[in-house]
Amino acid sequence: MKLFVCVKHVPDSAAHIAIIDHIRIDENISFLLNPYDEHALTEAVRIREMNPGSEVIAVCLGKADAEKTLRSAMAMGADRGILIKTDKRHDSIETALALKTAIEQDGSPALIFTGKESIDDQGMQTLFRLGALFDFPAATNVVRLDIVSGKAVTDTEFSGGVVSTYEMSLPCVIGAGKRLNTPKYPTVRDVMRSRKSPIQAFEFSDLNMETPKARMEVIELIPYIQKRQPKEITGSPSEIAQKIVEILKNEAKVL
Amino acid sequence: MTRKYDAIIIGAGVIGAPIAYELSKMGYKTLTVDKLADAGEGSTAGSCAIVRAHYSTADGVAMAYEGFKYWLDWENYLDHVKDEKGLARYMNTGSLLLKSQGHDWKKVKKNYNEIGVKYKELTVEEIKTMVPVADLHEFWPVRRPEDPTFYDEPTKMLEGAIFCPEGGYVNDPTLSAHNIMRAAEAKGATFMFNAEVVDIRTKDGRTAGITLKDGTQIDAPIVVNVGGPHSFKINKMAPGVWEGCNIKTKSLRHEVMYCPSPDGYDYLNDGYHMSDGDVGCYVRPEVGNTFLIGSEDPACDPKEWVDPDDFYAGKGGLGRDNVLTEAQWQAQCFRFGKRVPDLPVPNQPKGVVDLYDCSDDWIPVYDKSDLPGFYMAVGTSGNQYKNAPVVGRMMAELIDACEKGLDHDKEPFQYKFKYITRSTNVGFFSRKRQINRNSSFSVNG
Repeated sequence: MKLFVCVKHVPDSAAHIAIIDHIRIDENISFLLNPYDEHALTEAVRIREMNPGSEVIAVCLGKADAEKTLRSAMAMGADRGILIKTDKRHDSIETALALKTAIEQDGSPALIFTGKESIDDQGMQTLFRLGALFDFPAATNVVRLDIVSGKAVTDTEFSGGVVSTYEMSLPCVIGAGKRLNTPKYPTVRDVMRSRKSPIQAFEFSDLNMETPKARMEVIELIPYIQKRQPKEITGSPSEIAQKIVEILKNEAKVL
Repeated sequence: MTRKYDAIIIGAGVIGAPIAYELSKMGYKTLTVDKLADAGEGSTAGSCAIVRAHYSTADGVAMAYEGFKYWLDWENYLDHVKDEKGLARYMNTGSLLLKSQGHDWKKVKKNYNEIGVKYKELTVEEIKTMVPVADLHEFWPVRRPEDPTFYDEPTKMLEGAIFCPEGGYVNDPTLSAHNIMRAAEAKGATFMFNAEVVDIRTKDGRTAGITLKDGTQIDAPIVVNVGGPHSFKINKMAPGVWEGCNIKTKSLRHEVMYCPSPDGYDYLNDGYHMSDGDVGCYVRPEVGNTFLIGSEDPACDPKEWVDPDDFYAGKGGLGRDNVLTEAQWQAQCFRFGKRVPDLPVPNQPKGVVDLYDCSDDWIPVYDKSDLPGFYMAVGTSGNQYKNAPVVGRMMAELIDACEKGLDHDKEPFQYKFKYITRSTNVGFFSRKRQINRNSSFSVNG
């Protein structure tokens, strides 16, 4: 089984993100493996362990620096990596087509994993476009995956905590959610082991793919400024605790 | 109306607050000013708050061992004051100093014997029973992951360790400073926040008071600079003070990392503080069963001297402001990952970045200055948190003696410790000293 995991090289969410010329971010910050893709990788490695002879291949469209993200993916268990090098920003239409072309050039996928979204663009489109291009079923925010009798059974979580169970034919596209698993972070031994794992790198133009007819373009980036209205909670410790519980229940609605 | 105090302390961190506390106990009417919103919110908040006795000088060991006794006796020290935020807690984990080429542990042992610090020497096998996750090979010299030899397989084993059962950390350094502030207030001290000092005023050749950024002038014949990473800027505001220091201070950027403990190992409850010069790291447990991993400043690591105002404003840019850098994250975590091979290293760096108020020889300056009435407790170099209550008492007694006519530069003040039977020559911490070549020139002090 070839298990492909599409990974993205994204800005560290802890970095100071500055917008330049209203259109792009200052990239002089740390970039790392998209956190949702860690769940995707962990799941792909789990499926590989249950299916001897399988292979986990991490695929990334990004700048040459994205090799670091592929190294992280391999330290987390991917057997090898494919890097489609580009200096351009690609929309999800072109990204999905590039990923599909690279995957097809490598072989036939049994399963394709992605994170449910990337933490930079948060478009949540690439995985569905990839499914459509391949004509594979796709599910996102997957919180449980079982491969039963040649089918994928998934629990998919929607907002408000509603969970639907789907049965999908294989191959299919799985968008990993946070609750799917606990990522197994690499140890130094894993880093050492994966240092020599192969990465096949080539230019975007080497894919020789047609330019998609439709395209999307970011025309402006506007920073989100949170309007905070702090309120002091006063009273005895138990009164304060009671008020916090009420706020979490009635205002934040998280309890 | 100009307000008047006997003494103004600049900086309400873990060193400033106890100076205010002790001066207040001695009858001084004190005002402590801080540019931040509450006590302990500056570089104290970024401290690892480790309490360990190993220092490269006997005076350093004595002071740390004395400090340990204060942390054990915290409620008494605070005179049972109530703090609405609760009390900081000292966690006695015990402290392991690995015998390696990265530490002059023979000198430390000699200092322990001289001061009477309780310790036990351990073999590699004994360490392994205490820290089952550790690989006790020798990895020396300390290297960075970008060095091709970083991953070379080790061939030799370490010699062993020195274990001090007395050692650990304080669970909340900010809270500990807040506790001392409340204790000081109970003795009459006043604290003023969001108050940035922009000038030290003088009159007739001696200290007269401070001016705040909003123009407020506050008078006092004594001003104590405990400005942490900003201390060199404050020294420069006082005429002749900076020029009169042979030992200078500047602010050094430092990163501390969090990594989860390996599966099945309860580091939070079963772990020790450990100083590991062989991989250039120190560690202590942190909530969430994580390892807090600091750097012992090995020679291969670049030193980043920064402007503290730019740093705290986040104006420095990548690697200069208060965000962890990928390169140092890997350097520290991968180094310590050699010692604990099952240590998981997350892809996203997590930790704390703050500044050391670093002196030329990594030993603090606790002294008067060339300007009468102006004193300093500066250059703490990331290694004085544990000594804070001792420094508070020592500085208060030094200030009192100098104000009563002692010429401390000629006849250095001798401070008698409260718990251990020993005095220390406060001249050891003089601004006029030559660089102390006995120092480790690192956070180890």
